[in-house]
Amino acid sequence: MINKIITDAKKSIASAIDLKALDDSRVLFLGKKGELTDLLKGLGKLSKEERPVMGEAINEAKVKIQNLIESRKEELEEVALQKRLLEERIDVTLPGRNIEKGGLHPITQTLHHIQNIFAKAGFEIEIGPEIEDDFHNFSALNIPEHHPARAMHDTFYFDANTVLRTHTSPVQIRTLQRQKPPVRVIAPGKVYRCDSDVTHTPMFHQVEGLIVDKEASFAQLKGLLIDFLRAYFEKDDLKVRFRPSYFPFTEPSAEADIECVICGGDGCRVCKKSGWLEVLGCGVVHPNVLSAVKINPNEFSGLAFGMGVERLAMLRYSVNDLRLFFENDIRFLNQF
Amino acid sequence: MNISTRWLREWVDPKVSDTELSEKLTMAGLEVERLAPVAPPFEGLVVGHVVNCARHPNADKLSLCEVDIGSGNNLQIICGAPNVRKDLKVVVATVGSVLPNNLKIKRAKLRGVESNGMICSESEICLSDSHEGILELDLSATIGENVRTVLDLDDHIIELDLTPNRGDCFSVLGVAREVCVNYDLSLPLTDYVAKQEGSKSFTAKVSSPSDCPKYLTRVIEGVDNSATTPKWMAQRLQRASQQLHSPIVDITNYVLLELGQPMHAFDLTTINGDIEVRAAKKGEKLELLNDQTVSLNKDTLVIADDNSAIAIAGVMGGLKTATLSSSSKILLESAFFDPIAISGVARSYGLHTESSLRFERGVDFNITKQALERATELVLDICGGKASPINECINPSSLPLLEPIEISREKIASVLGFDLDPKWVESKFKFLEFKYKAHKDSWTVTPPSFRFDVRIPADIIEELARLYGYDKIPVKKLSIDANIAHSSQSKVSSYDLSQSLVNRGYQEVITYSFISDEYHDLIDPSAKKILLKNPISDDMSVMRSSLWPGLLETVKMNRRRGHQNARFFETGLSFSGTSVEDQKQKVAGIICGNRFESQWGSGDREVDFFDAKSDVQSLLDHGKGDYSFEAAEHPALQAGQSAKISKNGQFIGWLGALSPVLQKKLSLPNLFLFELNQSDIEQGEISSYESFSSFQASQRDIALVVSKDVSSEQLINSIRSLKQNDLIDVNLFDVYEGQHIEEGKKSVALNLTYQSIDTTLTDEQLEQNVSKIVTHLESKFSAKLR
Repeated sequence: MINKIITDAKKSIASAIDLKALDDSRVLFLGKKGELTDLLKGLGKLSKEERPVMGEAINEAKVKIQNLIESRKEELEEVALQKRLLEERIDVTLPGRNIEKGGLHPITQTLHHIQNIFAKAGFEIEIGPEIEDDFHNFSALNIPEHHPARAMHDTFYFDANTVLRTHTSPVQIRTLQRQKPPVRVIAPGKVYRCDSDVTHTPMFHQVEGLIVDKEASFAQLKGLLIDFLRAYFEKDDLKVRFRPSYFPFTEPSAEADIECVICGGDGCRVCKKSGWLEVLGCGVVHPNVLSAVKINPNEFSGLAFGMGVERLAMLRYSVNDLRLFFENDIRFLNQF
Repeated sequence: MNISTRWLREWVDPKVSDTELSEKLTMAGLEVERLAPVAPPFEGLVVGHVVNCARHPNADKLSLCEVDIGSGNNLQIICGAPNVRKDLKVVVATVGSVLPNNLKIKRAKLRGVESNGMICSESEICLSDSHEGILELDLSATIGENVRTVLDLDDHIIELDLTPNRGDCFSVLGVAREVCVNYDLSLPLTDYVAKQEGSKSFTAKVSSPSDCPKYLTRVIEGVDNSATTPKWMAQRLQRASQQLHSPIVDITNYVLLELGQPMHAFDLTTINGDIEVRAAKKGEKLELLNDQTVSLNKDTLVIADDNSAIAIAGVMGGLKTATLSSSSKILLESAFFDPIAISGVARSYGLHTESSLRFERGVDFNITKQALERATELVLDICGGKASPINECINPSSLPLLEPIEISREKIASVLGFDLDPKWVESKFKFLEFKYKAHKDSWTVTPPSFRFDVRIPADIIEELARLYGYDKIPVKKLSIDANIAHSSQSKVSSYDLSQSLVNRGYQEVITYSFISDEYHDLIDPSAKKILLKNPISDDMSVMRSSLWPGLLETVKMNRRRGHQNARFFETGLSFSGTSVEDQKQKVAGIICGNRFESQWGSGDREVDFFDAKSDVQSLLDHGKGDYSFEAAEHPALQAGQSAKISKNGQFIGWLGALSPVLQKKLSLPNLFLFELNQSDIEQGEISSYESFSSFQASQRDIALVVSKDVSSEQLINSIRSLKQNDLIDVNLFDVYEGQHIEEGKKSVALNLTYQSIDTTLTDEQLEQNVSKIVTHLESKFSAKLR
C-alpha cells in the first residue's frame, strides 16, 4: 500500500512540469486530504502492535515524498531561472539614457586652471567692475592724461571720465585701497579694447597678479612666473625667457616668452619663425602706483604680472582663431 | 621703425652678424620684430654698359643691344623694355644665373636672333613691384661689378617695435647709442657745421615759451629743389619705409631718421611777415599737407605767420607754405617742443606723424642746432644755395630739468634680488652717457638730455637690469606666506553654480557685454540705456542690462547651423548704470527644443516651464533662504508663463517663456529663459545637526477640488500656516483637470507626512489633524474633498 503511494508520488512529482503542478502533487499526497494523511487517519483502527510499525512506515514515506518534492522544486526553479535569464537578455551596447553633456566654456576652464595654480602659491582671487573710472584704469596706474601708452589702449568711453576697463590692473588699485600689505592676489576678468579684426576681439580676458610685501624682488618674480608657466603647460623643462619691455605701471618691466609649444622652438607660423611665444608681461610695481594708493614705496615693494587668457587657451587647446571663443558655436564648445 | 643695418653700421659696427645684433637689441628691450633682407639671394648679376642699341630686325618692340660687362667680349642681348638705350648702365643677368623667381638664364634665340643674357627690371630682382622698364643704374657704376655690391643688396632692414619710453631710439643715432651700450663701444662724435654765406635775417618769436623752449630757423636762398635726391639717400629713406618727395623734404626726413630731430621746411615766399609760435585762435582753420583742413582747437600749439596758422607745431605743416620743386627760398625749422604740449594733439585731429611720434615721447633738446646744421649741409650739397645765420629763440628756463638721481647699491639689490658689482655699474653709467658721482655704496646720477625716461631710481635700476641681461638675473622663490586666507564654507562659489548647470546638460557660453539698441528695447526697454561713445559697431553699442540678448543670439546662430535643441547658460556682469554698484553679476540660462536628444526607449517631448524651473531650483538649492515664485509680467516673457523669483520677499530674478511677439520678431521658437542675481543665491548656511525622530512617520493623502485660480503654493502655504507640530512634509503629487471635474476647477492631490519626536501618533490624532486641514481649506478656498 505505502509502496504504491510512494511509486505514484514519484511518478506524479517527476511529471510535474512547473511549481504549480508540483504543489498539486504535494496536496495529493501530503495534503490534509492526501493519501498519506488518509493512511494516518486509519492508524487508529490498527492493533497496538501494528500501529507503531505502520506509523513509522507512513512517516518514512512522508519524508521521502517531501524530499522528492524538494529536489524537484529545485530542478524546476533552476529551469525557471534559466528561462528568465534567456528572456531578459538585453543589448548592453545600446546607449545609456539621457546622456546629455553640458560643459564649461574653454575660457572658463583656462581661468580655473590658472587660478588653481596660483591658489597653490597662496594667491587670493579679487574681482572688480568692468566699467571703470579714469583714476583706477589710468591715472593711478601711472598713465596720466596724454601719456603715449593711452593711445596703445584703444579705450571704449562712456564719457571723459568713464571707460570700459582696458586691463584688469584697476583691480590692483581697488585691492590696495582696501587691503594693507602683504597682498598676494590675482584678478581674472573681462577687459575691453576698441579693436576688432582677425587677431583682436573687442572683449577678451586677462588674469593679473599682484604681490606687495616688504621684500619682493625681480628675481622672485622670475621664479614665480617660470614655475607658473611650467605648471600651466605641464612641462617641467619648458624654456622661458624674459625680455625688457615697457608698461607704465611697472619698472623694471619685462615680457616673458616661452619656447613655441607648437613647433618646439624650431620656428613655425604661430611663433613667426622666432621659436618664441610672448605669453605675459610683468615687472616691479612702479613707485608712483604705490604712492597713488598711499603705500610707502620705500617700505614696500610690489610685483605685478598680467596675461591674456585667450592666448593661453589658444596655445593649450590648439585653437587657431581667436574669434571662435565668442561665436559660441556648439560644435566648438562641445570639444572642451 | 625700420632702419637699414648698413646705415646703422656706418655709425657703429660691432663685429657680429645682423642676426646676432638684432637678437641683442631684442634682449635689451628694443624688440626687433623682423630682420628682413632687402633682396632675396641671387648671384651672377653684374653691371653692364649698353654700348649699342638697335631695333630687332624681326620685331618692333624688341631692341638688339650690345652690352659690355667687362669680360672682354661684348654680349648681344635682346631687351623688350621701352627705356633701354645706348650708354645706359644696367643690371645684366648673365647666362647661367638664376633670378629670385627661379628663372634660369639660358642662351636663347628670340625671333631668330641670339640673346646671351637678360637686362633686368626692379621687379625681376624683387626690389620693387615696378614694371616700368629696366633698372637704370648710376652712370658711375663700374662695368662688370657685382650688382649686389653696387646696389648694396646684402643689407638688412631691422624692424623695431619700440616701447613708448624709448623715444630716444627713433633714429639711427639712437639705435647706434643703444648698440654701443650693449657692446661696450664708443660712438664717434660728429659735429656738423654748414657753410654760411647768406645774410638774410628772419624774425621768429615764441609766445608760449614753456611749450616751445627752443625754436631755431634758418633761411637758405638760391636752392634748386628740382634736383634729384641722390641715390644713396633715396635708398636709405626707402629702406626706412619713407616715401620720396622733393630733395628738401627728403633731407628733412633723412635728418629726422638720422638724428631723431623732426624738421620742417617752409617756402619762404609764402610766409607773410614774421613767424610766431603761439596757441591757435578760436575757430582758426588750417589746410594741412595731407589736404585735410582742420578746425584748430584753442589749446593747440601752432606756427603762424602774420596772417594765420601755417603749421601744427610738432605735428604737420600747412599746404600753403609747403616747399615745391620750384621753391628757391626756404626757411628750415628745427625746434624743441615740450612733450606735454604735443601729446595727444595729433590724435585729436586723427593724425599720426613721424614728427608727433617723436615729440610726444621727447626729442633730445641738445640736438636742435646740430640737426639744423646737418640739414643745411645736405641742402647745400644737393640743392645748392646760400645759408643765412641761424635765428635762435631759446628760453633756457623752460627746458627740461636734468635733476640728479640718488641711487644706492642696496636699493638696486633689493629690487633686483641680487647685488651688482659697483665697478660694472659705473662702467655702464659711462656707456649710457649718465654723469655720476660715486659715494660709498651709492651714486648721484644725472641722465643725458636724450633720455626722457630716466627720472627716478627705478628708471636707473631698469637700465642696469636690462644691460645685465634679464636672463642672467638669478631665479628666486617667493617666501612662504603663512597667512591662511579666510573663506566661508557657507559661500556658494560661482564654480559650484556653473557646475550644477553643467551637470544638468547646460553648455556655458561667453557673449559680448555690449548689444544692439534694438535688443535692449526688445528685452528690457525700461532699463537705463548705457551707451558707448565709440562703439565698434551699432550691434555693439549698448551695455547689456540682461544676459538674455546674448543667449537668444547664441540659440539663433546655433539653430541656423542645424542645432535645434539648446541648453545654454552664461554668468557675467549686467549693467544698470556706470557706478560699481550698478554692475551686477548674473547667471542666466536658456532652453529650447526637446528635453532629451532623440534616443531609443524614451519618448520625445518639448521642454516646458517646469524644466526650466527645476534648473532654477537646483541653483537656488545651493544657497539658503525662503524662495518663492510668483506670477508676474515681463516685457520679454509670455504673460501667464512668467514668474518673478524672490528670496525672503526680495526680488532676485525672472523665469519664463519668451513672449510670442518676441518669438516672431526674433524668428525664434518656443523657449524658456531664466536670470538670477548671483549675489543673492551665493549665501548658503553651515549645516547644524538636528536629531531625528525614532518613531514611525505616517502618511495621509487628500484630494481636493478647488478653483483653477488657486495656486499650489497658496494651498501649501495655507496648510503650513496652521503650524501643525507633527506635520513634517506636504507634497503635492497630482493636479488633474478634465472629465469628472467641474469646469474652472481642478483636483489637487496632496500627501501629508506626520511624525512626532516623542511618540507614535494614533489614527485618531492623525484623523483629527487632517480634518482640521480640510476644514481650513474648505473655508479658505471653498475646497471640496473628493
